[in-house]
Amino acid sequence: MQIDLEKKYSELKCFFEPEGVAVIGASRRTEKLGYQVLKNLIDGGSFTLPHLKGFSGKIFPVNPKADEILGLRCYHSVKDIPERVDLAIICIPAKLVPQAVKDCAEKGVKGINIISAGFAEAGEEGKRLQDEFLKIAKEAGIRIVGPNCLGTLYTPTHLNASFGGFLPLPGEVAFISQSGALMDSVIDWAVKEGYGFSAMISYGNKSDLDAPDFIAWAAKDPYTRAITLYIEGFNDGRYFLEVARRVSSIKPIIAFKAGKTSAGTKAVGSHTGSLAGSYQVYKGAFRQSGVIMADTLTQMFDLAKALAHQPPPEGNRVAIVTNGGGNGVMCADFCEELGIQLPSPPSELIEKLDRTGKMHPAWSRSNPLDIIGDAGPERYEVALEAVMSCDVYDGVIVIQTLQTPTRPMEDAKIVVEMHRKYKKPVIAAFVGGKITEPSVKYLEEHGIPNYNDMDRAAKAMWALMEYGKYLKRRGLHEKGTNLN
Amino acid sequence: MRKEQILTKIEKFKRCGQRFLPEPVCEEILSFYDIPTPPAQLARESGEAVELARQIGFPVVLKVISPQIIHKSDAGGVMVNLKSEEEVERAFRKILENAKSYNPKAEIEGIYVQKMAPPGREVIIGAVKDAQFGPVVMFGLGGIFVEVLKDVVFRVAPIDEEEAREMVDEIRGLPILKGVRGEKPIDFDSLSQAISNVSRLVVDFPQIEQFDANPVCVYPDRLYAVDARIILE
Repeated sequence: MQIDLEKKYSELKCFFEPEGVAVIGASRRTEKLGYQVLKNLIDGGSFTLPHLKGFSGKIFPVNPKADEILGLRCYHSVKDIPERVDLAIICIPAKLVPQAVKDCAEKGVKGINIISAGFAEAGEEGKRLQDEFLKIAKEAGIRIVGPNCLGTLYTPTHLNASFGGFLPLPGEVAFISQSGALMDSVIDWAVKEGYGFSAMISYGNKSDLDAPDFIAWAAKDPYTRAITLYIEGFNDGRYFLEVARRVSSIKPIIAFKAGKTSAGTKAVGSHTGSLAGSYQVYKGAFRQSGVIMADTLTQMFDLAKALAHQPPPEGNRVAIVTNGGGNGVMCADFCEELGIQLPSPPSELIEKLDRTGKMHPAWSRSNPLDIIGDAGPERYEVALEAVMSCDVYDGVIVIQTLQTPTRPMEDAKIVVEMHRKYKKPVIAAFVGGKITEPSVKYLEEHGIPNYNDMDRAAKAMWALMEYGKYLKRRGLHEKGTNLN
Repeated sequence: MRKEQILTKIEKFKRCGQRFLPEPVCEEILSFYDIPTPPAQLARESGEAVELARQIGFPVVLKVISPQIIHKSDAGGVMVNLKSEEEVERAFRKILENAKSYNPKAEIEGIYVQKMAPPGREVIIGAVKDAQFGPVVMFGLGGIFVEVLKDVVFRVAPIDEEEAREMVDEIRGLPILKGVRGEKPIDFDSLSQAISNVSRLVVDFPQIEQFDANPVCVYPDRLYAVDARIILE
């Protein structure tokens, strides 16, 4: 099976960059779903936040009993809209959905987010309704997100085509989530953390489109640099494997799989059968397809931040540069646990640094390179320059603790400059809070991921390495195939 | 045996409603996929067993073969490390007795006389049909490691030898295979090949629901699948 990513991208584009959007079931009553969804489109969210802006394209409310909602002209049917409509959002009772899909088919709508619940998840009758609208959609070539989902959000077009509270900040990470409620709280958390997203997708019952389809779309989306995934299960594991294999060599995919204990296979009678819990099998499938597996949701976003902005290292040898002993030791411990090597600095490097006259006489001369608590920006500069230009190291973790002589913003600028100059992957751990915050913001705005904990910093470096190893493996693979 | 012949056999067992393939059939299938098993043959009477043991070379293992007896050890149907003709003769009778008292209705097809594999490091190679991924292959350390530590790794089948080697490298118990206290490393190439071949086997025959080669004894220069189990859908 060869997936045509380009085709998938243009097919799903209507969910993110539609020419016009219709809200079927738009309502004037503020407590109704149909009101909130319309408001989300117009204002970017149902809450007031400074970063919010409304959808940049045209919005058409549809309601047979209204002529105007939220200042927009309301149409009695989607078929009455005189302009092009690429995307429809359906938020009407389940039993009316097949007819609405039929109207969309006549109108020439390309994609529908069905927010309404009461389908396959709700029993026999719901299942029948789901099959009914699916048949209509298939015949008309309409793709469906949902039902029973939040919908799609896309920051480049300020499209909040969902029941989600508000748009996240713009960023380079796409989040594909099997759970809608989870996505809602992630948005709220992310805005507070200043963590940005390119797209967010909640696909609910996956009656038509499933996670692999969105992964394929994200592979070609120019605003997405890393793809995150919350999943419980797929409809078709092999389809996922094919897509993930293809996409992970273009962009990193990071996944969190929930449902560790559920037995995906109920096979008994063999050892293998009794051991084949779905989590173990997923783990294998992820390894096979280059998907980085996160242990927690927070970790998934941690790793995505690094993978979206930092290149994978050539190998697993890292230098730790720190102005604090304790954090250096902690970081070294976590690195060791994760199989990250910390080679000692070669004697030329030590001599070079000693000759600069900028080092403290008591600096460690080993890895971690403890450049002592009184380190100012100049010392960070010579130390970073030395390790980044040294062949012994494939990547750098730079730690800054806040001490009286510390100049966080100046240090941050040096880190950014050094990364630009040498292109080696850098993970920052500027630890602290209030005073450190602006420098952390500067780092992250310039693509240097920062973590306030040593385990998180080490894990981020590990993820870059895992991804690098996978790419290398794939490279070797392809070479082998060519020879044949 | 050729692929079509394997298919014919599998279909025959399926038609009879027999889900567990007899060990000699499992071994035939393994040999088609280049997975070595210790030399073995089926004996129908004790004299034949003694003769076979002499040909194969001592020590040998005797195992009961009966469609009604799936867990051979539980039925007292396995006797190991038999070093002489007398021991083989005695074991043959004992196994028959045990099998009859375990299940009086069991039809005994014969007793399998198998060369006793020398002690080696034990691993498990398995496969199962996963609800979401279809056939998947598993590798892990055998014996207590698989029972207690569940130190196993999965892949979606089929995989090539390179991917199989990655599976081997992923288990926590890898140092045991690399050799501790001066022990030689095991034959990683043969092991990777065997895992990859099992993954092809379960893709080639979708009728197979579960597969276990446990233990597989690995040595510095080769390996033996000592016990194999194939369960049909």
